[in-house]
Amino acid sequence: MTAPRRIGEAELHALVDGELTGEERAELEALLPGAPAEQALVRELRDLNQAMRTRYAGRLEEPVPGPMLDVLRHIPRRRSAAALRRWSIAAALLVAVAAGLAGYAVRGVVTGTPRTESSFVLNAIGAHSVYVPEVRHPVEVKADEEHLVRWLTRRVGAPIRAPSLVDRGWKLMGGRLLPDLGLPAAQFMYEDAAGRRLTLYIRKETGLNNTSFQFAERDGLGSFYWIDRPLAYALAGRLSRDELMRLADAVYAQLEQR
Amino acid sequence: MEKGLGVASRRDAVAAEIPRLRRYARALLGDDGEADDLIQDTLERALARLEQWRDGDNPRKWLFSILHNLHVDGLRRKSRRPPHVGLDNVGVEHSAPAADGASGRDLDQALQLLSGEQRRVVLLVGLEGLGYAETAEVLSIPVGTVMSRLARGRDRLRGLMDYDGDKNGRATLRRVK
Repeated sequence: MTAPRRIGEAELHALVDGELTGEERAELEALLPGAPAEQALVRELRDLNQAMRTRYAGRLEEPVPGPMLDVLRHIPRRRSAAALRRWSIAAALLVAVAAGLAGYAVRGVVTGTPRTESSFVLNAIGAHSVYVPEVRHPVEVKADEEHLVRWLTRRVGAPIRAPSLVDRGWKLMGGRLLPDLGLPAAQFMYEDAAGRRLTLYIRKETGLNNTSFQFAERDGLGSFYWIDRPLAYALAGRLSRDELMRLADAVYAQLEQR
Repeated sequence: MEKGLGVASRRDAVAAEIPRLRRYARALLGDDGEADDLIQDTLERALARLEQWRDGDNPRKWLFSILHNLHVDGLRRKSRRPPHVGLDNVGVEHSAPAADGASGRDLDQALQLLSGEQRRVVLLVGLEGLGYAETAEVLSIPVGTVMSRLARGRDRLRGLMDYDGDKNGRATLRRVK
Protein backbone atom coordinates (compact mmCIF):
# COMPACT_ATOMS: atom_id res chain seq x y z
CA MET A 1 0.00 0.00 0.00
CA THR A 2 1.14 3.48 -0.81
CA ALA A 3 2.50 5.52 2.05
CA PRO A 4 -0.04 8.04 3.35
CA ARG A 5 0.27 11.48 1.80
CA ARG A 6 -1.72 14.61 1.72
CA ILE A 7 -4.48 14.57 -0.91
CA GLY A 8 -4.98 17.84 -2.78
CA GLU A 9 -8.51 19.05 -3.37
CA ALA A 10 -7.82 19.51 -7.08
CA GLU A 11 -7.08 15.79 -7.28
CA LEU A 12 -10.50 15.00 -5.90
CA HIS A 13 -12.20 17.18 -8.51
CA ALA A 14 -10.06 15.55 -11.18
CA LEU A 15 -11.09 12.12 -9.94
CA VAL A 16 -14.77 12.97 -10.10
CA ASP A 17 -14.38 14.58 -13.51
CA GLY A 18 -12.55 11.64 -15.03
CA GLU A 19 -9.38 13.64 -15.55
CA LEU A 20 -6.98 11.17 -13.93
CA THR A 21 -5.04 8.47 -15.67
CA GLY A 22 -5.82 4.92 -14.63
CA GLU A 23 -2.71 4.86 -12.49
CA GLU A 24 -3.43 8.14 -10.71
CA ARG A 25 -6.98 7.07 -10.17
CA ALA A 26 -6.02 3.75 -8.66
CA GLU A 27 -3.55 5.43 -6.34
CA LEU A 28 -6.05 7.98 -5.14
CA GLU A 29 -8.82 5.44 -4.67
CA ALA A 30 -6.49 3.36 -2.52
CA LEU A 31 -5.89 6.39 -0.29
CA LEU A 32 -9.50 7.42 0.11
CA PRO A 33 -10.66 4.80 2.61
CA GLY A 34 -8.15 6.23 5.05
CA ALA A 35 -9.31 9.79 4.42
CA PRO A 36 -12.98 10.15 5.36
CA ALA A 37 -13.19 13.90 4.79
CA GLU A 38 -11.79 13.56 1.26
CA GLN A 39 -14.01 10.60 0.59
CA ALA A 40 -17.04 12.61 1.68
CA LEU A 41 -16.05 15.43 -0.63
CA VAL A 42 -15.80 13.05 -3.55
CA ARG A 43 -19.27 11.79 -2.81
CA GLU A 44 -20.61 15.34 -2.54
CA LEU A 45 -19.09 16.33 -5.84
CA ARG A 46 -20.55 13.28 -7.55
CA ASP A 47 -23.95 14.03 -5.99
CA LEU A 48 -23.69 17.58 -7.19
CA ASN A 49 -23.06 16.53 -10.77
CA GLN A 50 -25.84 13.99 -10.60
CA ALA A 51 -28.21 16.57 -9.15
CA MET A 52 -27.49 18.90 -12.08
CA ARG A 53 -28.06 16.15 -14.61
CA THR A 54 -31.32 15.22 -12.93
CA ARG A 55 -32.45 18.83 -12.69
CA TYR A 56 -31.94 19.55 -16.39
CA ALA A 57 -32.69 16.13 -17.84
CA GLY A 58 -35.99 17.42 -19.21
CA ARG A 59 -34.25 19.40 -21.88
CA LEU A 60 -32.66 16.28 -23.32
CA GLU A 61 -35.97 14.48 -23.56
CA GLU A 62 -38.31 17.08 -24.92
CA PRO A 63 -38.56 17.46 -28.70
CA VAL A 64 -36.47 20.16 -30.33
CA PRO A 65 -38.61 23.19 -31.24
CA GLY A 66 -39.45 23.41 -34.93
CA PRO A 67 -37.88 26.83 -35.48
CA MET A 68 -34.51 25.47 -34.35
CA LEU A 69 -34.64 22.68 -36.88
CA ASP A 70 -35.83 25.13 -39.50
CA VAL A 71 -32.73 27.22 -38.97
CA LEU A 72 -30.65 24.27 -40.08
CA ARG A 73 -32.36 24.16 -43.46
CA HIS A 74 -31.53 27.59 -44.57
CA ILE A 75 -28.77 30.07 -44.04
CA PRO A 76 -30.36 33.32 -42.98
CA ARG A 77 -28.74 36.66 -43.49
CA ARG A 78 -28.72 39.89 -41.55
CA ARG A 79 -31.18 38.71 -38.97
CA SER A 80 -31.02 37.46 -35.45
CA ALA A 81 -33.49 35.27 -33.66
CA ALA A 82 -34.18 38.05 -31.22
CA ALA A 83 -35.03 40.44 -34.05
CA LEU A 84 -37.25 37.78 -35.55
CA ARG A 85 -39.09 37.45 -32.27
CA ARG A 86 -39.64 41.18 -32.02
CA TRP A 87 -40.93 41.25 -35.56
CA SER A 88 -43.19 38.28 -34.87
CA ILE A 89 -44.88 40.13 -32.06
CA ALA A 90 -45.63 43.06 -34.36
CA ALA A 91 -46.81 40.67 -37.07
CA ALA A 92 -49.00 38.87 -34.56
CA LEU A 93 -50.76 42.11 -33.73
CA LEU A 94 -51.30 42.86 -37.41
CA VAL A 95 -52.63 39.39 -38.05
CA ALA A 96 -55.00 39.66 -35.11
CA VAL A 97 -56.39 42.95 -36.42
CA ALA A 98 -56.62 41.72 -40.00
CA ALA A 99 -58.28 38.50 -38.90
CA GLY A 100 -60.76 40.41 -36.79
CA LEU A 101 -61.71 42.61 -39.73
CA ALA A 102 -62.00 39.70 -42.08
CA GLY A 103 -64.23 38.00 -39.57
CA TYR A 104 -62.61 34.65 -39.48
CA ALA A 105 -60.64 32.90 -36.85
CA VAL A 106 -56.95 32.57 -37.43
CA ARG A 107 -56.05 29.07 -36.51
CA GLY A 108 -52.46 28.99 -37.58
CA VAL A 109 -50.19 26.63 -35.78
CA VAL A 110 -46.50 27.23 -35.74
CA THR A 111 -44.60 24.34 -34.34
CA GLY A 112 -42.31 24.80 -31.39
CA THR A 113 -42.02 28.08 -29.55
CA PRO A 114 -44.94 30.42 -30.03
CA ARG A 115 -44.19 32.41 -33.10
CA THR A 116 -47.09 33.79 -35.03
CA GLU A 117 -47.03 33.64 -38.78
CA SER A 118 -47.35 36.88 -40.64
CA SER A 119 -50.48 37.84 -42.51
CA PHE A 120 -48.46 37.00 -45.56
CA VAL A 121 -48.39 33.26 -45.02
CA LEU A 122 -52.07 33.21 -44.11
CA ASN A 123 -52.84 34.95 -47.40
CA ALA A 124 -50.66 32.42 -49.20
CA ILE A 125 -52.42 29.50 -47.56
CA GLY A 126 -55.79 31.12 -48.25
CA ALA A 127 -54.95 31.62 -51.91
CA HIS A 128 -53.81 28.03 -52.12
CA SER A 129 -57.12 26.77 -50.73
CA VAL A 130 -59.13 28.95 -53.09
CA TYR A 131 -57.42 28.12 -56.37
CA VAL A 132 -56.05 24.62 -55.99
CA PRO A 133 -59.46 22.91 -56.19
CA GLU A 134 -60.22 24.71 -59.48
CA VAL A 135 -60.65 22.24 -62.29
CA ARG A 136 -61.14 24.56 -65.25
CA HIS A 137 -59.32 27.70 -64.15
CA PRO A 138 -56.60 26.79 -61.70
CA VAL A 139 -54.32 29.41 -63.23
CA GLU A 140 -54.91 32.71 -64.93
CA VAL A 141 -52.01 32.46 -67.35
CA LYS A 142 -50.62 29.11 -68.40
CA ALA A 143 -46.97 28.24 -68.04
CA ASP A 144 -46.44 27.95 -71.81
CA GLU A 145 -47.26 31.61 -72.32
CA GLU A 146 -43.88 33.24 -72.23
CA HIS A 147 -45.14 36.53 -70.86
CA LEU A 148 -46.26 34.89 -67.56
CA VAL A 149 -43.16 35.73 -65.57
CA ARG A 150 -42.60 39.08 -67.26
CA TRP A 151 -46.16 40.10 -66.54
CA LEU A 152 -46.00 39.12 -62.88
CA THR A 153 -42.62 40.80 -62.46
CA ARG A 154 -44.05 44.02 -63.81
CA ARG A 155 -47.18 43.89 -61.69
CA VAL A 156 -45.54 42.80 -58.42
CA GLY A 157 -42.75 45.29 -58.91
CA ALA A 158 -39.71 43.07 -58.35
CA PRO A 159 -37.97 40.43 -60.47
CA ILE A 160 -39.95 37.24 -60.08
CA ARG A 161 -38.90 33.83 -61.30
CA ALA A 162 -40.84 30.60 -61.54
CA PRO A 163 -38.48 27.89 -60.26
CA SER A 164 -38.52 24.62 -62.16
CA LEU A 165 -39.40 21.60 -60.06
CA VAL A 166 -39.62 19.19 -62.98
CA ASP A 167 -36.75 17.07 -61.74
CA ARG A 168 -38.70 16.61 -58.51
CA GLY A 169 -41.80 15.54 -60.38
CA TRP A 170 -43.68 18.82 -60.25
CA LYS A 171 -44.74 20.57 -63.45
CA LEU A 172 -45.42 24.29 -63.54
CA MET A 173 -49.04 24.84 -64.58
CA GLY A 174 -49.00 28.61 -64.68
CA GLY A 175 -49.70 31.54 -62.44
CA ARG A 176 -52.00 34.32 -61.46
CA LEU A 177 -52.07 37.79 -60.02
CA LEU A 178 -53.74 38.23 -56.63
CA PRO A 179 -54.46 41.03 -54.20
CA ASP A 180 -52.58 40.82 -50.90
CA LEU A 181 -53.86 43.47 -48.51
CA GLY A 182 -54.45 45.67 -51.50
CA LEU A 183 -51.09 45.06 -53.14
CA PRO A 184 -50.30 42.75 -56.05
CA ALA A 185 -49.01 39.27 -55.29
CA ALA A 186 -48.19 36.38 -57.60
CA GLN A 187 -49.04 32.72 -57.31
CA PHE A 188 -47.42 29.93 -59.30
CA MET A 189 -49.11 26.56 -59.30
CA TYR A 190 -47.42 23.19 -59.78
CA GLU A 191 -48.89 19.72 -60.22
CA ASP A 192 -47.35 16.28 -59.86
CA ALA A 193 -48.20 13.05 -61.67
CA ALA A 194 -50.64 12.11 -58.92
CA GLY A 195 -52.56 15.34 -59.41
CA ARG A 196 -51.39 16.92 -56.17
CA ARG A 197 -50.88 20.65 -56.34
CA LEU A 198 -48.34 23.00 -54.86
CA THR A 199 -48.34 26.79 -54.91
CA LEU A 200 -45.57 29.32 -54.59
CA TYR A 201 -46.89 32.65 -53.41
CA ILE A 202 -44.72 35.72 -53.87
CA ARG A 203 -45.17 39.26 -52.69
CA LYS A 204 -42.96 42.30 -52.62
CA GLU A 205 -41.49 42.82 -49.17
CA THR A 206 -39.09 45.60 -48.44
CA GLY A 207 -40.17 46.60 -44.96
CA LEU A 208 -39.20 43.46 -43.10
CA ASN A 209 -35.83 41.84 -42.72
CA ASN A 210 -34.83 38.57 -44.30
CA THR A 211 -35.83 35.47 -42.44
CA SER A 212 -34.87 31.84 -42.39
CA PHE A 213 -37.47 29.22 -43.27
CA GLN A 214 -40.50 29.22 -41.07
CA PHE A 215 -43.35 26.78 -41.06
CA ALA A 216 -47.05 27.43 -40.63
CA GLU A 217 -49.96 25.08 -40.90
CA ARG A 218 -53.70 25.55 -41.13
CA ASP A 219 -56.13 22.68 -41.34
CA GLY A 220 -53.50 20.30 -42.58
CA LEU A 221 -52.28 22.68 -45.25
CA GLY A 222 -48.65 23.51 -44.57
CA SER A 223 -46.43 26.28 -45.80
CA PHE A 224 -42.78 27.10 -45.56
CA TYR A 225 -42.23 30.80 -45.92
CA TRP A 226 -39.30 33.13 -45.89
CA ILE A 227 -38.32 36.65 -46.79
CA ASP A 228 -35.47 37.30 -49.18
CA ARG A 229 -35.79 40.96 -49.92
CA PRO A 230 -37.23 42.45 -52.01
CA LEU A 231 -39.59 39.48 -52.07
CA ALA A 232 -41.40 37.26 -49.59
CA TYR A 233 -42.13 33.65 -50.54
CA ALA A 234 -44.50 30.99 -49.26
CA LEU A 235 -44.57 27.47 -50.63
CA ALA A 236 -47.82 25.77 -49.71
CA GLY A 237 -49.19 22.30 -50.22
CA ARG A 238 -51.01 19.46 -48.56
CA LEU A 239 -47.80 17.47 -48.22
CA SER A 240 -45.84 16.10 -45.34
CA ARG A 241 -43.69 18.67 -43.65
CA ASP A 242 -40.56 16.85 -44.79
CA GLU A 243 -41.61 16.71 -48.40
CA LEU A 244 -42.59 20.35 -48.38
CA MET A 245 -39.28 21.22 -46.75
CA ARG A 246 -37.32 19.47 -49.48
CA LEU A 247 -39.26 21.33 -52.15
CA ALA A 248 -38.77 24.63 -50.33
CA ASP A 249 -35.04 23.89 -50.24
CA ALA A 250 -35.08 23.28 -53.98
CA VAL A 251 -37.00 26.49 -54.66
CA TYR A 252 -34.70 28.49 -52.45
CA ALA A 253 -31.59 27.03 -54.04
CA GLN A 254 -32.81 28.00 -57.52
CA LEU A 255 -33.76 31.48 -56.50
CA GLU A 256 -30.32 31.94 -54.95
CA GLN A 257 -28.64 31.23 -58.27
CA ARG A 258 -29.63 34.48 -59.82
CA MET B 1 -23.63 28.15 -50.74
CA GLU B 2 -23.59 24.43 -50.11
CA LYS B 3 -20.42 23.03 -51.46
CA GLY B 4 -19.27 19.49 -51.72
CA LEU B 5 -20.55 16.53 -49.82
CA GLY B 6 -21.06 16.46 -46.13
CA VAL B 7 -23.08 19.63 -45.64
CA ALA B 8 -26.18 17.59 -44.96
CA SER B 9 -24.36 15.31 -42.54
CA ARG B 10 -22.81 18.31 -40.83
CA ARG B 11 -26.24 19.79 -40.39
CA ASP B 12 -27.41 16.49 -38.95
CA ALA B 13 -24.49 16.47 -36.56
CA VAL B 14 -25.38 19.99 -35.46
CA ALA B 15 -29.04 19.03 -35.07
CA ALA B 16 -28.05 16.10 -32.88
CA GLU B 17 -26.39 18.50 -30.43
CA ILE B 18 -29.40 20.77 -29.98
CA PRO B 19 -30.81 19.04 -26.88
CA ARG B 20 -27.49 19.33 -25.07
CA LEU B 21 -27.02 22.93 -26.13
CA ARG B 22 -30.49 23.70 -24.83
CA ARG B 23 -29.79 21.96 -21.55
CA TYR B 24 -26.62 23.94 -21.02
CA ALA B 25 -28.17 27.26 -22.04
CA ARG B 26 -31.12 26.69 -19.77
CA ALA B 27 -28.91 25.93 -16.80
CA LEU B 28 -26.60 28.83 -17.63
CA LEU B 29 -29.29 31.48 -18.07
CA GLY B 30 -31.97 30.22 -15.71
CA ASP B 31 -34.69 31.17 -18.19
CA ASP B 32 -36.33 29.06 -20.90
CA GLY B 33 -37.04 31.86 -23.36
CA GLU B 34 -33.63 33.46 -23.14
CA ALA B 35 -31.99 30.07 -23.43
CA ASP B 36 -33.86 29.21 -26.59
CA ASP B 37 -33.11 32.61 -28.11
CA LEU B 38 -29.44 31.97 -27.48
CA ILE B 39 -29.67 28.54 -29.10
CA GLN B 40 -31.49 29.96 -32.10
CA ASP B 41 -28.70 32.51 -32.56
CA THR B 42 -26.07 29.83 -31.98
CA LEU B 43 -27.55 27.64 -34.69
CA GLU B 44 -27.75 30.52 -37.13
CA ARG B 45 -24.13 31.41 -36.55
CA ALA B 46 -23.07 27.78 -36.74
CA LEU B 47 -24.86 27.33 -40.05
CA ALA B 48 -23.28 30.44 -41.47
CA ARG B 49 -19.86 29.05 -40.50
CA LEU B 50 -20.36 25.41 -41.23
CA GLU B 51 -17.24 25.38 -43.37
CA GLN B 52 -15.13 26.50 -40.39
CA TRP B 53 -15.88 23.28 -38.63
CA ARG B 54 -12.99 21.03 -39.56
CA ASP B 55 -13.71 17.41 -40.27
CA GLY B 56 -12.94 15.22 -37.33
CA ASP B 57 -13.51 18.03 -34.86
CA ASN B 58 -15.95 17.45 -32.09
CA PRO B 59 -19.14 19.33 -33.10
CA ARG B 60 -20.12 19.67 -29.47
CA LYS B 61 -17.02 21.63 -28.53
CA TRP B 62 -17.35 23.82 -31.61
CA LEU B 63 -21.01 24.58 -30.91
CA PHE B 64 -20.41 25.28 -27.25
CA SER B 65 -17.70 27.76 -28.28
CA ILE B 66 -20.10 29.57 -30.60
CA LEU B 67 -22.73 29.63 -27.88
CA HIS B 68 -20.24 30.96 -25.37
CA ASN B 69 -19.04 33.74 -27.65
CA LEU B 70 -22.58 34.82 -28.47
CA HIS B 71 -23.49 34.81 -24.82
CA VAL B 72 -20.48 36.94 -23.92
CA ASP B 73 -21.22 39.33 -26.79
CA GLY B 74 -24.77 39.59 -25.57
CA LEU B 75 -23.62 40.36 -22.04
CA ARG B 76 -21.31 43.04 -23.33
CA ARG B 77 -24.10 44.65 -25.29
CA LYS B 78 -26.68 44.82 -22.56
CA SER B 79 -25.79 45.34 -18.99
CA ARG B 80 -26.20 42.15 -17.12
CA ARG B 81 -29.71 41.70 -15.86
CA PRO B 82 -30.06 40.95 -12.17
CA PRO B 83 -30.37 37.30 -11.20
CA HIS B 84 -33.82 35.85 -10.70
CA VAL B 85 -33.42 35.18 -7.05
CA GLY B 86 -31.72 37.20 -4.43
CA LEU B 87 -29.99 35.82 -1.41
CA ASP B 88 -33.08 36.63 0.62
CA ASN B 89 -35.06 34.07 -1.28
CA VAL B 90 -32.44 31.42 -0.93
CA GLY B 91 -32.43 31.96 2.78
CA VAL B 92 -35.96 30.64 2.94
CA GLU B 93 -36.01 27.16 4.33
CA HIS B 94 -36.60 24.53 1.70
CA SER B 95 -35.12 21.72 3.68
CA ALA B 96 -37.95 19.33 2.89
CA PRO B 97 -37.86 18.59 -0.81
CA ALA B 98 -41.16 17.67 -2.43
CA ALA B 99 -41.57 14.23 -3.89
CA ASP B 100 -41.19 15.53 -7.42
CA GLY B 101 -37.68 16.64 -6.73
CA ALA B 102 -38.10 20.23 -5.63
CA SER B 103 -34.44 20.12 -4.73
CA GLY B 104 -33.84 20.53 -8.48
CA ARG B 105 -35.49 23.90 -8.43
CA ASP B 106 -33.34 24.92 -5.55
CA LEU B 107 -30.23 23.84 -7.38
CA ASP B 108 -31.32 25.96 -10.31
CA GLN B 109 -31.63 28.98 -8.04
CA ALA B 110 -28.31 28.30 -6.39
CA LEU B 111 -26.55 28.05 -9.76
CA GLN B 112 -27.84 31.47 -10.73
CA LEU B 113 -26.10 32.88 -7.69
CA LEU B 114 -22.67 31.84 -8.91
CA SER B 115 -20.67 34.27 -11.00
CA GLY B 116 -21.07 33.66 -14.72
CA GLU B 117 -17.44 32.56 -14.93
CA GLN B 118 -17.90 29.93 -12.26
CA ARG B 119 -21.28 28.81 -13.51
CA ARG B 120 -19.96 28.13 -17.02
CA VAL B 121 -17.17 25.92 -15.78
CA VAL B 122 -19.28 24.08 -13.23
CA LEU B 123 -21.90 23.35 -15.90
CA LEU B 124 -19.59 22.48 -18.77
CA VAL B 125 -17.62 20.03 -16.66
CA GLY B 126 -20.23 18.77 -14.24
CA LEU B 127 -23.39 18.83 -16.34
CA GLU B 128 -22.07 18.44 -19.86
CA GLY B 129 -19.15 16.23 -19.03
CA LEU B 130 -16.57 18.19 -20.99
CA GLY B 131 -12.96 17.59 -20.05
CA TYR B 132 -10.88 20.36 -18.52
CA ALA B 133 -8.96 20.90 -21.75
CA GLU B 134 -12.15 21.02 -23.81
CA THR B 135 -13.72 23.45 -21.36
CA ALA B 136 -10.62 25.62 -21.55
CA GLU B 137 -10.90 25.71 -25.34
CA VAL B 138 -14.60 26.48 -25.33
CA LEU B 139 -14.14 29.37 -22.94
CA SER B 140 -10.75 30.48 -24.31
CA ILE B 141 -9.10 30.35 -20.91
CA PRO B 142 -6.13 28.35 -19.57
CA VAL B 143 -6.75 24.90 -18.11
CA GLY B 144 -5.48 26.11 -14.73
CA THR B 145 -8.18 28.76 -14.72
CA VAL B 146 -10.78 26.12 -15.48
CA MET B 147 -9.63 24.14 -12.47
CA SER B 148 -9.57 27.06 -10.07
CA ARG B 149 -12.97 28.35 -11.18
CA LEU B 150 -14.36 24.85 -10.93
CA ALA B 151 -13.14 24.44 -7.35
CA ARG B 152 -14.37 27.87 -6.31
CA GLY B 153 -17.69 27.46 -8.08
CA ARG B 154 -18.38 24.07 -6.55
CA ASP B 155 -17.39 25.36 -3.13
CA ARG B 156 -19.83 28.19 -3.48
CA LEU B 157 -22.55 25.88 -4.73
CA ARG B 158 -22.01 23.50 -1.85
CA GLY B 159 -22.19 26.44 0.49
CA LEU B 160 -25.54 27.40 -1.01
CA MET B 161 -26.82 23.87 -0.77
CA ASP B 162 -26.45 21.56 2.13
CA TYR B 163 -24.93 18.47 0.73
CA ASP B 164 -25.57 15.87 3.32
CA GLY B 165 -28.45 15.06 1.00
CA ASP B 166 -31.68 13.31 1.71
CA LYS B 167 -32.18 9.57 1.83
CA ASN B 168 -31.95 9.29 -1.93
CA GLY B 169 -28.66 11.08 -1.96
CA ARG B 170 -30.44 14.04 -3.46
CA ALA B 171 -29.28 17.49 -2.65
CA THR B 172 -31.43 19.60 -0.41
CA LEU B 173 -31.17 23.29 0.13
CA ARG B 174 -31.00 24.56 3.65
CA ARG B 175 -30.79 27.92 5.21
CA VAL B 176 -27.69 29.78 4.23
CA LYS B 177 -25.84 30.92 7.29
